[in-house]
Amino acid sequence: MSIQRPTYTFEGLPIGDVDSGTNVLVTGPALGGIRELTLRMLLHSSEREGTLFVTADTDGRKTLTDYEGLGGRLDFARVGVVDCTEEGVDDEAHNVHAVGSPADLTGIGIEFSSLYERLHANGAERVRTGVYTLSPFVVYAPTKAVFRFVHTLTGRIRTADGLGVCAIDPGTVDDQTLSSIAQAFDGQVELREADRDCAVRVRGLSDQPEGWQDVDLDV
Amino acid sequence: MTGLTVLCVDPDDGEREQTVAALADADDVTVLSRDTLAAAGSVLADTEVDCVVTEYDLPDGTGLDLTARLRERAPDTPCILFTNADPDRIRTADHEGVVVEYLPKDMPGARESLVRLVGNVVAQRTQVGYPLPPEEDERLAALEQYNRPGMDAVDAFDRLTALTKSHFGVDVAFVGLVDAHEERFLSCAGADWETLEREDTMCTHTILQDDVMVVEDTHEDGRFADSDRLDELNIRAYAGVPLETPRGTAIGAYCMTHSEPRSFSEAELNDLRLFAEEAMEQLELRRQLNECEEAAESHSGRDSGPTGTDGSGSQ
Repeated sequence: MSIQRPTYTFEGLPIGDVDSGTNVLVTGPALGGIRELTLRMLLHSSEREGTLFVTADTDGRKTLTDYEGLGGRLDFARVGVVDCTEEGVDDEAHNVHAVGSPADLTGIGIEFSSLYERLHANGAERVRTGVYTLSPFVVYAPTKAVFRFVHTLTGRIRTADGLGVCAIDPGTVDDQTLSSIAQAFDGQVELREADRDCAVRVRGLSDQPEGWQDVDLDV
Repeated sequence: MTGLTVLCVDPDDGEREQTVAALADADDVTVLSRDTLAAAGSVLADTEVDCVVTEYDLPDGTGLDLTARLRERAPDTPCILFTNADPDRIRTADHEGVVVEYLPKDMPGARESLVRLVGNVVAQRTQVGYPLPPEEDERLAALEQYNRPGMDAVDAFDRLTALTKSHFGVDVAFVGLVDAHEERFLSCAGADWETLEREDTMCTHTILQDDVMVVEDTHEDGRFADSDRLDELNIRAYAGVPLETPRGTAIGAYCMTHSEPRSFSEAELNDLRLFAEEAMEQLELRRQLNECEEAAESHSGRDSGPTGTDGSGSQ
């Protein structure tokens, strides 16, 4: 008899199960469905999961609305947002915590750690964390701070048996910086889009479909 | 978590004592405790610590002020805000890039969580400001074997780097080993660099590559464009080849830098690879020589008992 290891599953996506503690970098053009792909990777597969969004491209409320539109359950004891946009405002009712600037990685890290602890305390045994996207951090914050932040985020997810799904638009950073940042992740999900046909390819993770797989995204 | 030194800073005597007790309970952990920013700053000025655990509110500043000092002196060292302060009350405006861990004191089992978190942030090096190779512990273990090449090797490297500098017409040529927290220059022609914080080095990126890393203009490369330190060192162009052990572990780099942006031809890069091969061969030979000498020493050490039989058969 084998003991089944806890995993995260991705219903409706051509991505195989991944182990607890995995951090995935999702790359693809901003207008090519990467937002929907990221949000769908954060949909719960059990009641005991929580979701934590770190949003820098769109505000917290819109993120929650879109997540709900894709079938996400908004149980605010176990779902929360760190809103890093300039316009972000605190919204206690929807568990949105505003930092006010994508350059303030110290503030974002503190809100992230604090919210992660609270979701755990509220009964979320495992937390899916989504970062949409890393690009503003890379653009507005010093490089060293970006590495510190990415290591801190992925480190906490790894040790807490969480799942990390961090999106980045390769068009916003140079190739060298992108590949340096990718070092902090266990694997990558690449998204490509041509004539509204989307496909994903998983690299660096075990037991995954080989090559490009069609995926149905609304682009 | 063994052999660690943790600095614990909290102005509240009772809370600080509890935190110190929890941390010191772990095996082989030394805890230094202070109650002010100034006193903690003095510790950082003359003691190497592995982790800092601090309250946010200090009588003469904040835990983030302390972190900023830490980032100047020992930038890789992780810092945890272990605090009663709610995130909304923490002012990050002057310290946006320092990045810390945060753990509220009022969580159930907070001190047990803190002990685990200290172990994790140290072991995983979660607050370093540069990308880490996937097998960093193994890489550092491999580096340990090449760390003491000896003075003869330094002479050989000095000849190599001097040749490299004149061959390419660049400002600086060097052999560097990338250690846990800094790069150490075994030889450096054209500058007097001895060590550099790892987060300021280009070689920490080179050791992630399979082959030569070329940066024609640091100001045009997202990884280095905002680095003041590279500007201070007059580095605008760089080419470096990873120094790999026979097992393929990159322990450092053989490099040249220039004060103006410049490109390097394929022929030049091939020559640089040859210089790098030569340097790595020197390192490997010295390692083997050291190994032989150590084996001989331990052998003669075993034989030289009270009967004094060592050396008698060597004639």
